[in-house]
Order: sequence, then C-alpha cells, then structure tokens
Amino acid sequence: MKTLKLIYFNTVFYTLFLSFSMFSIPILSLSVIFLGLFSSHRNTMKRFRRAINWYGNVVIRVLPFPFVRFRYKDYARNKGRGPYIFVCNHRSSSDPFLIGCLPYELIQIVNTWPFRLPVLGIFARWAGYLNVKRMQFKEFSCKTIELLRQGVSIVAFPEGTRSRNKKIGQFHSSIFRVALQAQCPIVPICISGNENIPPRGSLLLHPGIIKMHKLTGLEWEQYKDLGPFKLKNKVRDIIASELAAMEGGHERFISLS
Amino acid sequence: MDKQEIIDKINQVFEKSFEIEKGKLQPQANIFEDLGLDSLDVVDLVVVLQQKFGIKIRDDQRIRNIRTLEDIYKFILILKDEGKNTVN
Repeated sequence: MKTLKLIYFNTVFYTLFLSFSMFSIPILSLSVIFLGLFSSHRNTMKRFRRAINWYGNVVIRVLPFPFVRFRYKDYARNKGRGPYIFVCNHRSSSDPFLIGCLPYELIQIVNTWPFRLPVLGIFARWAGYLNVKRMQFKEFSCKTIELLRQGVSIVAFPEGTRSRNKKIGQFHSSIFRVALQAQCPIVPICISGNENIPPRGSLLLHPGIIKMHKLTGLEWEQYKDLGPFKLKNKVRDIIASELAAMEGGHERFISLS
Repeated sequence: MDKQEIIDKINQVFEKSFEIEKGKLQPQANIFEDLGLDSLDVVDLVVVLQQKFGIKIRDDQRIRNIRTLEDIYKFILILKDEGKNTVN
C-alpha cells in the first residue's frame, strides 16, 4: 500500500511538474522579455529573479500538495527590505526551490550541478547565480558585494554539499568574509523535514512535512568584532540549535544577542 | 624551543585565534573535519603561525599535505630544525 502511494504521488507530481514547467517557463520568460523592452536592465533582472522565486514556490508548495506540506515561519523581529545574506542548512536538492518563498529579489550561491540541470540550469546562469566552485575567493567576493550593493539578497548553503544525515556539516567561511566586508545582515534559515524530498542520490519524493524557519538576522554591529571563523560557527550554532528545537517536537525562540 | 613548547604555542593559536576548546585539540584531530577550518581559514592560520614562530611557510608546498594537528606540529618542528626560512 505504501509503495503504491509512493508511485501514485511521484507519478502525479512529476506529471504536474513537467506540465507546469512547459507551460510556465515560456510564459514567464516571454512576459519578462516583453516588459524588459520598456524598462531598465536592472528592473528586468529584478522581475526575472522574482519569477524564478514564484516558480520555485509553486513547484515545492503547490504541486506536491497534499503529500508534501510546507510550513514557513518568519521569526524576524524587524522586517526590513534587505538586502540580506541568507544562510541555510542543506539536506536536499529541494532546498533551492524552498528558498522561493522568501519575499526578496535574490540569487543563490550554488555548486556546479544546478547549472547542469536542463532548462533550469540556463535560467540559474541568466539570473546571475554564483558557481562557487568555479571562482577564486576574490572574484566571488567582488561579485557578491556588487549584487548586495544593487539590493539583491544572497542565499548561501555554507555546508557546501547536502549533508548525509541530520547532522549539520562544517561551514565554509567565504560568505561570512563577504558579510564582514559588505557589512550586511546575516539571516539564518533552518530547513527541516525534506531529507527524503527527495533523498540524496534519488529523484523519488516521499510524503512529509517540510518546515522552514527564518530567524532574526544578525546585524553587522552585532558581529563586526568576530573573525570569519568565529562568525561562521556562531551562525552554525544558531541554526543547529533551532533545528534541534524544530526536530525535538518543541519550537522555541532563539535569542541572537 | 623544544617540541612541547612548539605544541603549546600552536595550541594557543587555535585557542586564541579560532576559539577552539582545548579539549578538541588532540594531535589526531583533523583540522577540517574535526576543528572546522576551511581553505581560507588555513590562510589565516598560516599568517598567525608565521608571526608566532618567525618562519616563512606560505609558499611551502608541504603545507598542502597537512590534515591533522600532529601534521602541523611536525611541520613546524621540521621548519624550525631547518632554520633557514627565518623572516627578517
């Protein structure tokens, strides 16, 4: 019975996913291109990145429903307009889609594999997603700071790769060095429940509940005296602590002070 | 400077510059997986070690083979013995 349910869910999801993608990607692209004829390159990019967010949002929240339910909580005390550096834990290839629920113009820092995805990889490149494996730190830093200066928020998965279990991996310090230079707020994002949606090395989605918590950001004034090593571990501890609370069955508010 | 002094000085670097607890500073600890350093942190570590020991290690290819704290102890000991890379 469980296997049948799994087959049914995946058949329905992937049929909807392909149909929706074939329909929405050309329409969204043409709309952005058409509106781009009457507006600046900057506004066109803004619209393009928002369209990607909207697409990701539908793919992960609407198409797999009711087999997969998504619960998003925003714990931020002050809801500014950004830009921010969002730092997320990384357990599943569905993480980049989940990020679509953040109401900001954003780009993601990714590995090489998302750029190899058919169609989506091309859009990631056009949107200005940064391939951290393909650039030296100096180039990465310059490009990221320029995007932040334009008002574009950055999403980073500093574990670098999807964790093989629920344990959070060591963080890479690149994005924290950029945050220190750019004096940009760092917002921790905790994602739980999508370890099997889909599991590492598979495309098979399993039913479940995905929780995503956006925590209060660390302002530059709060972290400016920390070195990158201490800063990355502080943010890692905040995320690990929230994940433990989310997965321990009780939710709690984390103080960042 | 004997071996124990070098070990103590290196451990101090990890405690003060990286705020890593003393208990984690075991010779077999992997500096990447156990202590959480990355390639950029290693560059910071090299700078501090150069200052602390008055040696030049930035361009030394042997640094690429370092994985554990023990490797760092041995590496610094060798450089001190060689005594030729002193920074003026």
